[in-house]
Amino acid sequence: MNIVVEAKQIKKVYGAKGNIFSALEDIDLTVMEGEFVGIMGPSGAGKSTLLNILATIDDPTTGNIVVDGINLTKMNEEQLSAFRRDKLGFLFQDYNLLDTLTVKENIILPLALAKLNIKELERRADEVADKFGIRDILNKYPYQISGGQKQRTAASRAIISKPSLILADEPTGALDSKSATDLLESLKDLNEQDKATILMVTHDAYAASYCNRVLFIKDGKIFTELVKGKRSRKEFFNKVLDVLSALGGGANDVI
Amino acid sequence: MTLFSLARKNIKGNFNNYFVYFVTLVFSMVIYYTFTSLQYSEKIQESIELSDTMSFMFGVSSIILILFVAIFILYSNSFFTRKRKKEVGLYAILGLRKKTIAKMLFYENLVIGIIALVIGIILGTLLSKLFAMILIKLMGSITDVDFGISFLAITQTVIVFMVIILFTSVQGYRLIYRFKLIELFYAEKKGEQIPKVSLISAVIGVLLLVVSYWLILKPFPDEFTTEYLIKNYGIAFVALFIGTHLFFRSVTVYLLRLSQRNKSRYYRGTRIIETSRLLFRIRGNARTFTVIALLSSATICFLGATYSGYYSNEKRTEEVVPFSYSHLSKGPEFDSQVESIIKADHRHPIKAQLDIPVIQVKGILSFQLDYDINPVQLISESTFNKAANALNKDETVSLSRNKAAVIQPRFTEYTKSVFKGENITIQLPQESSKLPFVHMVESNVLPFDYPDFFLVVSNEMFAEIAKKEAPLTYKVYEVENEVTAQATSKKVNKLVGNDFQVSSSFYTEYKQGKEGNAITLFIFGFLGLVFLAATGSIIYFKQLTEANEAKGHYEILRKIGVSRKDIRKSIKKQSLFVFGLPLTVGILHSCVTLYFTSNFMSNLIGINLIVPILTAIVFFVIIYAVYYVLTVNTYNRIVNK
Ligand SMILES: Nc1ncnc2c1ncn2[C@@H]1O[C@H](COP(=O)(O)OP(=O)(O)OP(=O)(O)O)[C@@H](O)[C@H]1O
Ligand SMILES: [Mg+2]
Repeated sequence: MNIVVEAKQIKKVYGAKGNIFSALEDIDLTVMEGEFVGIMGPSGAGKSTLLNILATIDDPTTGNIVVDGINLTKMNEEQLSAFRRDKLGFLFQDYNLLDTLTVKENIILPLALAKLNIKELERRADEVADKFGIRDILNKYPYQISGGQKQRTAASRAIISKPSLILADEPTGALDSKSATDLLESLKDLNEQDKATILMVTHDAYAASYCNRVLFIKDGKIFTELVKGKRSRKEFFNKVLDVLSALGGGANDVI
Repeated sequence: MTLFSLARKNIKGNFNNYFVYFVTLVFSMVIYYTFTSLQYSEKIQESIELSDTMSFMFGVSSIILILFVAIFILYSNSFFTRKRKKEVGLYAILGLRKKTIAKMLFYENLVIGIIALVIGIILGTLLSKLFAMILIKLMGSITDVDFGISFLAITQTVIVFMVIILFTSVQGYRLIYRFKLIELFYAEKKGEQIPKVSLISAVIGVLLLVVSYWLILKPFPDEFTTEYLIKNYGIAFVALFIGTHLFFRSVTVYLLRLSQRNKSRYYRGTRIIETSRLLFRIRGNARTFTVIALLSSATICFLGATYSGYYSNEKRTEEVVPFSYSHLSKGPEFDSQVESIIKADHRHPIKAQLDIPVIQVKGILSFQLDYDINPVQLISESTFNKAANALNKDETVSLSRNKAAVIQPRFTEYTKSVFKGENITIQLPQESSKLPFVHMVESNVLPFDYPDFFLVVSNEMFAEIAKKEAPLTYKVYEVENEVTAQATSKKVNKLVGNDFQVSSSFYTEYKQGKEGNAITLFIFGFLGLVFLAATGSIIYFKQLTEANEAKGHYEILRKIGVSRKDIRKSIKKQSLFVFGLPLTVGILHSCVTLYFTSNFMSNLIGINLIVPILTAIVFFVIIYAVYYVLTVNTYNRIVNK
């Protein structure tokens, strides 16, 4: 099995002289192809920072990251943009949909930017719309649809270009439990059937229980790691809760 | 903390928001102050010969300027207030009393206004010297501009702007009372809806434009009455106004929508982003676009028309006063007195000196001509040829014994064909003779005097008639570099009096024309500059507000994988559309209107408008281009850094 993400000795320092704050300290992370990895930790632990660095939106102070065999630290802005477009899919808590585009236009945007031919583009749009059950809202605008539908639209956009890695930052954060479950089920299907590699930051133990593996971060360092293995989701969920209470601070985030 | 200091703190904290508004205020004040100080400048009024016209023109324009400036300030004030509604709502939620907030906003506005006024007047004092120099240069005077502070102008500027500032301050005071809290919070969200396509209004828009163009371009009817003028062009203007608005509101929406239909183009690259953003913004921009298009076309028109007056002044003067000096001979003593004045001017040596004998007779045309031809002025073939030669015109006539050539009466458009095959009967005391027209020439020999009907006859004929009707003799002189012969012209004018309806010396006529034209050109140029800067700024402000609202939009795009370079390109394309569209429509409108004006004007004075119009358009495009670059850079800095 291939390695999709290999991050070594990631360090992120904010601030200038005198007032330095280190958000990440020597993080090592390896994600294999087809893994569904969760990242948890108290607020301010550095989860979003780590995800943004992997997403090439932010750059690390020091450290080395290889995604899909490509060394990110050696690329210029334009190459990074192309990399994001072709290799990565994003999912954020606040959806990040463009309100000037219809649902369909939002979904196909990455393909349009990659100048894919129109036939293939339409075919893939149909495919993901079916997968996430948003076929009948394709011609609506984001302000006309619900939060759950927005997140499924964002998810469709994240996977339409068949990225090597899907990055999600609290994707269920703004959803009710039904919509959250729908989305998580879809992500699980994607992971199991399409062998998509997913990295998901979450505060929600229930969401984390869908992962194969959960990393816990505290104060910018890796605190521990839980692997689901042969456990049922219920068992895994309880395990996650145990670690969270041991972690402290984050415990109040658990619903 | 006193209210006053809270207001001051606010200004400091919100500097960016205030800055744009502040610049608008200062700009308006500088412009107004400059203008009034020119108006009141005695130095300038002394140095020209047309000061009555000048102060009248200045007076009228300064009223236009006040109106415009007031509208511009109110516009940017409401713009600025809209950005702050949320902040005001926040104060209210934090528990500040309405009255306190209202007072705070009042003081804020007042403080900004007064600071802007002080800066405006200081900058205005500096700038007015520059503009005074430009005006004097345009008029061709050689006065030194030693240009101090004009207290009259300061007082007037302060009064006018204090009224405007007080008004906006009161508006600020009332803001919190005028809106519900919820409205204050959602102030920025308004207007962000995808516009619906209305085919009907798009079609009506196009139709109205076509109709108005057709009305404007329609050739003049034979009978050109005021009623026709008002009806035809009144309807044309209304149609143009509504048509332009519908064009921006519906036609562009329709076209953008249409461009979305072609999926394989639309779904390719960043076009999808640009098109959709433009579609979203267009409704909110339609009114601004309309105002800008109409304002810029009006400015181009006026600028083009006045510039062409200025530009063709020399040519026009040469037609009206062909020789440097002309006067009626009043005996050898008088004539030599004039001659010695002209000869004494060594800086303008005489190139040619002629006697032009003219016989005035009564004539009857063989056809109807709506021009009063009597008395007909006869000159001989050789006189005409010598005069034309002296004026460097290559027109010559050679006539057989009893044929005649007509000189085209000035300010008319008669063509050769009018006179072809016709004749004139000259009535002399005992007999009359019939002279067929064989020719029409366009060179004039004497200064304009109504009626302007000159007939060139053969030398024999002239000599024959001269026996019965004694000719008058005009003395004409052509000197080197006649456009600068100020002193001599003054002396000659004093001596010879009014032999003609126009001045008897070229310089005087030229200078008066130049000054009159320079003032109009300067005023229209000045107003044009103000309109241009104002419209440019309005687009600039709008784009910046939009940039601030669109920050999130571009952040998402960057996350999805659009490079900074592509985002910049995309911003460029959108800004080009936003600046280019109203400008293009404005230029088109002005071309059509100028086509009409030039038809109209060349009927009157026969001048060519192409160079001046092109100059005005190029000037406009350049200034807009500067604003475009500025906008792209700032926009880019806001969303792409
Ligand atoms: N631009 C920045 N400048 C300075 N400090 C920052 C910046 N961005 C993040 N931080 C700090 O880095 C730390 C990690 O932030 P991060 O957003 O990664 O936390 P998180 O784990 O995602 O928290 P949450 O669960 O609340 O989203 C925080 O203490 C935050 O204050
Ligand atoms: Mg976070």
